[in-house]
Amino acid sequence: MSAPAVKDHPIHRRWIGQSMKRVEDPRLLTGRGKYIDDIVVPNMAHAAVLRSPHAHARIKKIDASKARALPGVLLVLTGAEAVEQTGPLPCFANPPVAQYCIAVDRVRHVGETVAAVVAESRYIAEDAVDRIEVEYEPLPVVVNPGDASTSKGDAVLHPDRGANNIAHQRTLTFGSYDEDMRSADVIVRRKVRWPRSGAQPMETVGAIASYDEGTRKFTIYANTSMYNYVGWLMAVSLKIPAHKLNIVPTIAGGSFGSKIFTHKVLVLAATLARACGRPVKYVEDRLDNMTSCDNHGSDRIYELELGLKRDGTMLAFGMKVIDDYGAYLQFGVGHHGNAAAQLTGPYRIKSARIELTAVFTNKCQQGAYRGFGSEVNNFALERIVDAAADELGISPVEIRRKNFIQPEQFPYKIPTGNVYDSGNYGAVLDKALEMADYDGWRSRQADARKQGRYIGIGLASCQERSVFSSTEFWFWNHEPGFALTSSPESVNIKIDPTGKAFVTLYSPFWGNSPETMATQIVAEQLTIDPSDIEITYADTDQGLMGTGPGGSRYTVMIAGAIAGAATDIKRKLFKIAGHFLEASEQDLELRDGRVSVRGTDRGMTIPEIALQAYYFRLSLPDDCNSGLDARFTYDHPYTTQPNADRTDLGVFYPIMGHMCHIPIVEIDIETGQLTYLKYVAVHDCGTVVNPMTLAGHVRGGTVQGIGSTMYEHFYYDEQGQLVTANFADYLIPTLKEAPPNIEVGHVVTPSPFTEYGIKGGGEGGRMGVPPALASAVEDALRPFGVKIDTLPITPMKIRDMIRAAQQRKG
Amino acid sequence: MKPAPFQYVRASSIDDALAGLAGHGDDAKVLAGGQSLIALMNLRLVRPAVLVDINRLSDLAYIRQENGTLAIGALTRQSAVESSDVIARLCPLMAEAIRFVGHRPIRNRGTVGGNLAHADPTSELPAVAVALGATFVTRSQKGQRTIAADDFFVAPLSTTLASNELLTEVRIPVWPAGQGWAFMEVSPRAGDYALVGVAATLRAADGVCQSGRLVYSGVGPRPIRVAKAEQALVGCSSGEATFREVAEIAAGQVEPSSDFHATADYRRDLVRALTRRALMVALDRCQKGA
Amino acid sequence: MEQVQLTLTVNGTRYSRPVEPRCLLSDFIRHDLGLTGTHVGCEHGVCGMCTVLIDGQTARTCLTFAVQVDGAEITTVEALGTPAKLHPLQQAFWEKHGLQCGYCTPAMLLTAVELLNNNPNPTRNEICEAMSANLCRCTGYQTIVDAVESAAAAMKGEAR
Ligand SMILES: Cc1cc2nc3c(=O)[nH]c(=O)nc-3n(C[C@H](O)[C@H](O)[C@H](O)COP(=O)(O)OP(=O)(O)OC[C@H]3O[C@@H](n4cnc5c(N)ncnc54)[C@H](O)[C@@H]3O)c2cc1C
Ligand code: FES
Ligand code: FES
Repeated sequence: MSAPAVKDHPIHRRWIGQSMKRVEDPRLLTGRGKYIDDIVVPNMAHAAVLRSPHAHARIKKIDASKARALPGVLLVLTGAEAVEQTGPLPCFANPPVAQYCIAVDRVRHVGETVAAVVAESRYIAEDAVDRIEVEYEPLPVVVNPGDASTSKGDAVLHPDRGANNIAHQRTLTFGSYDEDMRSADVIVRRKVRWPRSGAQPMETVGAIASYDEGTRKFTIYANTSMYNYVGWLMAVSLKIPAHKLNIVPTIAGGSFGSKIFTHKVLVLAATLARACGRPVKYVEDRLDNMTSCDNHGSDRIYELELGLKRDGTMLAFGMKVIDDYGAYLQFGVGHHGNAAAQLTGPYRIKSARIELTAVFTNKCQQGAYRGFGSEVNNFALERIVDAAADELGISPVEIRRKNFIQPEQFPYKIPTGNVYDSGNYGAVLDKALEMADYDGWRSRQADARKQGRYIGIGLASCQERSVFSSTEFWFWNHEPGFALTSSPESVNIKIDPTGKAFVTLYSPFWGNSPETMATQIVAEQLTIDPSDIEITYADTDQGLMGTGPGGSRYTVMIAGAIAGAATDIKRKLFKIAGHFLEASEQDLELRDGRVSVRGTDRGMTIPEIALQAYYFRLSLPDDCNSGLDARFTYDHPYTTQPNADRTDLGVFYPIMGHMCHIPIVEIDIETGQLTYLKYVAVHDCGTVVNPMTLAGHVRGGTVQGIGSTMYEHFYYDEQGQLVTANFADYLIPTLKEAPPNIEVGHVVTPSPFTEYGIKGGGEGGRMGVPPALASAVEDALRPFGVKIDTLPITPMKIRDMIRAAQQRKG
Repeated sequence: MKPAPFQYVRASSIDDALAGLAGHGDDAKVLAGGQSLIALMNLRLVRPAVLVDINRLSDLAYIRQENGTLAIGALTRQSAVESSDVIARLCPLMAEAIRFVGHRPIRNRGTVGGNLAHADPTSELPAVAVALGATFVTRSQKGQRTIAADDFFVAPLSTTLASNELLTEVRIPVWPAGQGWAFMEVSPRAGDYALVGVAATLRAADGVCQSGRLVYSGVGPRPIRVAKAEQALVGCSSGEATFREVAEIAAGQVEPSSDFHATADYRRDLVRALTRRALMVALDRCQKGA
Repeated sequence: MEQVQLTLTVNGTRYSRPVEPRCLLSDFIRHDLGLTGTHVGCEHGVCGMCTVLIDGQTARTCLTFAVQVDGAEITTVEALGTPAKLHPLQQAFWEKHGLQCGYCTPAMLLTAVELLNNNPNPTRNEICEAMSANLCRCTGYQTIVDAVESAAAAMKGEAR
């Protein structure tokens, strides 16, 4: 596929661009949301799981007799028993890494499920869990990712995949890297550490599975996503035909990626339901979720190098990166595909190299978290750009501006092969500088320093790739495996006989605003009033392909799908109206819910046409069937195959957003505590469908980013125990840790490739905060010569650095 | 995360409660606000066989002044302390400290007695109680006794209360005129337990410190009073220079341990910073009060 | 398992039910009474999702046994307003985009109810203080504070 035709975007819009109040809200505001744990299925029983206390152990023996004897207990299932019915979980890595919904003979991280209980209540199920006796043979525990290559014997987590704990190793070079580095005047080097944090939405993951003897079919309610994309993979795990599994989506109380594909919980619930003959609800409690959600975020150690000319021109960017994937590898190393999508950021860097070593350790495996690994690359790149600015004595603003890809250079192909659709990075930077009063704060900072106050001004200019293509699932693999190239989104629109629009979505609500987006876009397309539009979600039985939210794709993709379906509907509206009005279709126009003959007052409203379409076949044109509906499956707007040796990954994430974050902070150097004096976030994600909800993503993402940067850490000790496995120790920011006012600005550079020019903006804030805040702290502490290269930057670490600096000075 | 089963006893009088506790040893527990106990029970870290609910003992919920003493019933909710004019007047240090205890919904149920009996060394109120020389009144079937705050706290989550004994009242000398105070802390997030907290009082006149108390949360197994630092105040000029020295002494005296959230070094840093700042505020209030 | 008879008023309706003493009030409200607007996020007291009003005061229902509230009056989000007729706070959350996934929203609303009952005229700082009792993973909080601020203004106008 070559670059798609550039789209013309209509300028006059009635609904797109409005801060319309959300369609989803009234039911959520009144406690009528129906999240997974709110759903009751008749005769439902409740499951709880026994979590491994060991990070790495062989399961020698399980004695569940005391648990089974407890009144109210329906079933105790061990991994060895479960595996007789249920196979391994879906895995996108190639070769796959076997993981089961209940560990079979070996546990590989603390919290892994060792056995599951079904009982009349969750209370009894937990009583029974307490009575299961397990004999473990502890195995050597691997926590340090640096040890992976030398692990041997029992310390190897997956002996079938090799003799050590290296999960995947590959070097990709893009462009004339070595040559460019040789021609550089300076090569700036920096080590950067990004520790694991995670999405931790307020609602955990759950599923209710039931098996109908009559239809011989499973129904699973779940707060999951991707069911209409790869939901059938769960039927494979359950060893049932795909048409004997129906997945019914519920709304999710937040995801941020972590509910993208909650297969373990669904497969477990279904396995238990099948084994005990009753519908089973399994909803993770917070401990289940923290220790075993399969969705911890990236955990990386970088050695970075950036080659530049002395004048600050960037030439080549390279890295050695070790990524601690934990015990399994469900999504392969797709996180590094995300990073490669915007590897060189907003800069004209000619060449790049990634030396990736992904390793297994005895920790919960990685999954998805807002950015999916690209936010980590933002941090790495921006840190080394700051380092280069320091080393070359150029201001952080100027080094960025000097290297930005210029507006007229788009579409712009970066070294990895991905193409950026459009952008105006200088405009975003200018707007942010202005909103922040950057220069004013520089002088205030200087005055404050004289009074012994430590103000820091941070800056980061980052990309937000949106709308992934599925090639990134496999292009890192040595053998691609299942090399899929589709990642569409669908919609079904039905205008009923009364003229109301019924819109069916094939992906879930997970805290974003799919109903509001769809409503605004349908209203725009069909000129139907939003109050006449009804949105529902299809299960897999009714499902058309829907890749789902994630990778900031939903708004872009659903807009494409709606435009497609609306075109068909409009065609039929025009055809019928033309027939009745005896006018040629070219003379008709659709306005305010009415098709009329241009320049006259003759016309028919949509309800009038719809009524004819439904019930008056004999009055319709001959080639018109009854009814008024259309469905459309919209494919990824622009993707190409990677080349064979992966020196070019193809186009896989082309809808490129951009942001500039400027935090201004003050540090109390005695306690290490930080306060926000100002926080500015300017985003460009193309045409904005709803400025209010976009700002919501920016602000919410920003506070999540503050969590990752300053507070949150899934910390495993030497024994592989997760020290921060609760909400008292895993520090999600409260209101008091958030900046009092995150000032949001927008620059609009429409995408030439998407409907209306929309770009994704869902991951927004979290992708810009870490480098921006790190640079602010570094800037505040400049008198101490402190470098920030590891997160989270807790007050304790700030104090440690200051103390060390003071001791150095003597 | 559901609690293990237990036998529930709803006490309708103190005697009732004591009878409920008797004979079960450590297997019986008092349920007050439940804001610490139920969390631990949900995690199944604590599994009492018998739970004696004292929430109906409304005669244990009071704040009153009795000849020179402020008496706070053990069942007094933390939010009642927060909004009490009597406390604000007679025990401003506690009024200031109580706002650092969790969040409003937790304080609405959490009790003063429960907080003290729970004896978390990072908690605010034990430090306040020690700083103010509080005494604790307890009851068991053997009768009543009083325990000085200094003797009450033993180790994390451990006190000199017997398992069948009920804390019924906290007695605090009424605030002496002209005494300054401050409670300050650093916690990981708003509402969290303190990494380090300091309860400070100060009396000063004519530019000279006469006496002061410095008691810390988070730097030892129980509230830690640093006598050396207190002594260093006496007779010195009241002001930043002295407080800086005193803070240095305090930081040198405490022997905090390290954990995931704070190393011993960091805790010492906090002791140093908070001590000086608390004394500055205390001095200011002392001068305003005088 | 031993059960205790429990009588209480929830949103103006009296209920009498047998409960096991260990039944958490959160589970009782959600599963015994089917009022699922009260959510559960951590069950160890930190997140605040399970907040309701007990006799007019906010409380974490995951840190309360149902038996403890015998005779009490409970208010949950279901008592505030309906989708057709929102409470002014709900209306303000809607207008100010004070929610995204909506999971924390019932707790946030009830926390705001308590605040405005005690203090109809709160400063922005007082709003922040009160609302910091609950986590929200979606919004970044700012619009929640905006919503409470605007509801306070609206409710004052309405009351007089
Ligand atoms: C999210 C969160 C944050 C918190 N933050 C803080 C904080 O920052 N600072 C802080 O200090 N606390 C904090 N707490 C704890 C809170 O203050 C508790 O209320 C308090 O520690 C215990 O009081 P309670 O009345 O709830 O007691 P309970 O939880 O009912 O009981 C605690 C213990 O004391 C015993 N007990 C209770 N009353 C008596 C009595 N009268 N006689 C004998 N024994 C008794 C119980 O048997 C139990 O062992 C927090 C709690 C939560 C959930
Ligand atoms: S569920 Fe009760 S505080 Fe989190
Ligand atoms: S709106 Fe999702 S947690 Fe607050």
